[in-house]
Amino acid sequence: MMLSRVGERVFWLARYLERVENTARLVNVYTSLLMDLPEQKEINWFTLATIFDAKDDYFERYDRVNEYDIMYFLLADPTYSGSLSNSILALRENARTSIDVLPEILWEQVNELHLLVKGELSSIGNRRRRQKLLLTIAEKCQCVWGIIANHMSRNFAYDFLQSGKFLERVDMTSRILEMTSILVSETRNEEMRQHEGILWATLLKSLSAQQMYIQINEYSLKASKVLRFLITDNRFPRSLSFALNALGNYLNYLPRADLVISRQQSILAEIQAYDEKHTPAESIQIMMDELQLKLNELNADITANWFYPDFSVA
Amino acid sequence: MNSMWRDYDPGDFFDELMHSKYQPRHFSFKLLDYFKGMQNNAFKQRVKEAELEMLERGITFTVYSDAGNIDRAWPFDVIPRAIQKREWQRTEKGLIQRISALNQFIQDIYNEGNIIKEGIMPADVVYKSKGYRPQCQGMTPPHGVWANICGSDLVRDQDGTLYVLEDNLRVPSGVSYMLENRKTTKRVFPELFRLINISPIDAYPERLADMLASLRPDLANPTIALLTPGVYNSAYYEHAFLAQQAGLTLLEGADLLVGEDDYVYMKTIHGLERVDVIYRRIDDDFIDPEVFRPDSMLGVPGIMRAWRSGKVAIANAPGCGVADDKVIYAFVPDMIRYYLGEEPILENVPTWLCRKQEELEHVLEHLAELVVKPANESGGYGMLVGPHATDEKVEEFRELLKENPENYIAQPTLNLSVSPTSCGDSIAPRHVDLRPFILSGKNNYVTPGGLTRVALVEGSLVVNSSQGGGSKDTWIVDEEAVKENE
Repeated sequence: MMLSRVGERVFWLARYLERVENTARLVNVYTSLLMDLPEQKEINWFTLATIFDAKDDYFERYDRVNEYDIMYFLLADPTYSGSLSNSILALRENARTSIDVLPEILWEQVNELHLLVKGELSSIGNRRRRQKLLLTIAEKCQCVWGIIANHMSRNFAYDFLQSGKFLERVDMTSRILEMTSILVSETRNEEMRQHEGILWATLLKSLSAQQMYIQINEYSLKASKVLRFLITDNRFPRSLSFALNALGNYLNYLPRADLVISRQQSILAEIQAYDEKHTPAESIQIMMDELQLKLNELNADITANWFYPDFSVA
Repeated sequence: MNSMWRDYDPGDFFDELMHSKYQPRHFSFKLLDYFKGMQNNAFKQRVKEAELEMLERGITFTVYSDAGNIDRAWPFDVIPRAIQKREWQRTEKGLIQRISALNQFIQDIYNEGNIIKEGIMPADVVYKSKGYRPQCQGMTPPHGVWANICGSDLVRDQDGTLYVLEDNLRVPSGVSYMLENRKTTKRVFPELFRLINISPIDAYPERLADMLASLRPDLANPTIALLTPGVYNSAYYEHAFLAQQAGLTLLEGADLLVGEDDYVYMKTIHGLERVDVIYRRIDDDFIDPEVFRPDSMLGVPGIMRAWRSGKVAIANAPGCGVADDKVIYAFVPDMIRYYLGEEPILENVPTWLCRKQEELEHVLEHLAELVVKPANESGGYGMLVGPHATDEKVEEFRELLKENPENYIAQPTLNLSVSPTSCGDSIAPRHVDLRPFILSGKNNYVTPGGLTRVALVEGSLVVNSSQGGGSKDTWIVDEEAVKENE
């Protein structure tokens, strides 16, 4: 038995948990990228805000773009709903309201994460301390996933957790792919050309995919190979294909899943049909935009099917 | 000796652990010896560890304030309060005796009303009580038990007599903190449990689940749920904790609906599923907007209908709060004699009923020395503590009493017992009470000990967590059983 409300809360718990971890890693990797690149216009701190679709939100609050403001905005701003600190609050709130179906130690870890971030957020202006904090946050998230993997029965709560995680992961991978494609197409000057390799390496690192990529592709950092890996590889857990496939598997364990599954299948089919000859790196952004819209529809289907169905009494 | 204890002196108060300034009680000797033998820094380190434990495990309660609701870490004092097992066995009997009489009383007044017919209680005391629910007339809940979970408040006076201060039959809270306090003590002072024979308390969640299941004797595996007002309720942590520990489904009102067939259903990912037993942590007033407050967003429309037709069991039964009335409290010793034919084992605090002219006169004359309580409040609100009140406050109550004497009772200001409590740089005596929890379904169960609450402010008698109170682990110490490794 699983209450619809609890299903919704654990699903979002997992989405926020995945989002927090990805955001922490992305910001760290990005900071390291900017240290490697010469100061120039195309790639700067603001790119981070655009990955999160937060251009307007940013300029409603800040006039200029600088490292501190961007970091404060993305990590600590209480007025921006997408900030890391707000994601952690949402994560904690969802854990708190579904605590009866979760392992007790999971709640303790989530609460510790919350306390850690609450205490350390003021230090984000300091690069060294920020990097350390973000690393610790990602580790804590890993720890929570470890508890889920090793302490939870494979029940509906587990299936909703995994579904939430993989849906969020597809979304995040697509955003990072989209951003890289924009950067590649916009950096036309010769000086940037020579840094293109760094860009692709950063893309891989931000999805913690570099090592696994190298194992099958050696050190050849070619755009087409990187894209094919992150879009269609069936063995790497952060590729679009893998994550969409896993999402389908977990949704399939849930009751009355047919309609939701058919949408997931059609998204998966399109992703697996990816062919770098027809979709050059520069047009990846259009493909990813479309994917994100479809993910929203899929999320709406999940919500309607399990969380807010019509409960009129039979 | 640890210098933090050097100036410890309970004075004239009854001390739970000490006979006198230098003389520990025999059952607390080892406990005190252990703490006094600890270096100041080592002790303070453990205090810090305990605080961190509570904070990291997210054991909080909500404080409502103008600036928004704040989650505060549960205030816990590391020095346990100990009670001798022999004394406890008698107390346990007394508590069961009392809850049995109270349940028979509630059953009686919603049915035959014999206690009123026979002139033992005046009709208006019952029928005009705020907790009385005419909608419950004619009902007999499973086993005739209305108050399935009760959290009585016990206090000790200067001479050591234990009194029942309140019965708390509506939605008593605190049991999760009792369990968490023990868990923290075990983590922070594991050595103590080797030295002393302490009754374990962790059976509570299982006993709770058993008791709730016993409310549907017709079903082999009833579906049991805990109904919470939600995450903004100050006791939400406890609701979630109990659901988790006892394997109950944690529900909010919006998760439920009552069908045409009068069964209660919860909304699940499979569709609707029937609920058979509901442990509700919502007040009567909010439980069913069709019957009680129509503006309630927390309850379930139609749930009273389902309950009346026996299709769902509700614990505690609606209407049981009538016995929480402070005027009715004064009659509990009479109830015990009337229903059980026994003398009360536990005493009531001496109580003056302001509805009686001669008692009102006495109360008005001694107002500044007494505690005055309204019939229907809990959590220490709306009362007068004479010796600690300003003259204006006393006069305000004088008027209230003259206007509406039926609504008040008065009691002597008890010199509550004290227990050694960690207060920054020293150990000092602080006033304590005790809230054991009593389960009643097919059988009765009393928690060994309970939740000891402590007034952390010097001289204060207010132990409520919402008003600066803390808590202690409570030990029932069995001196007669010897630990093997001694």
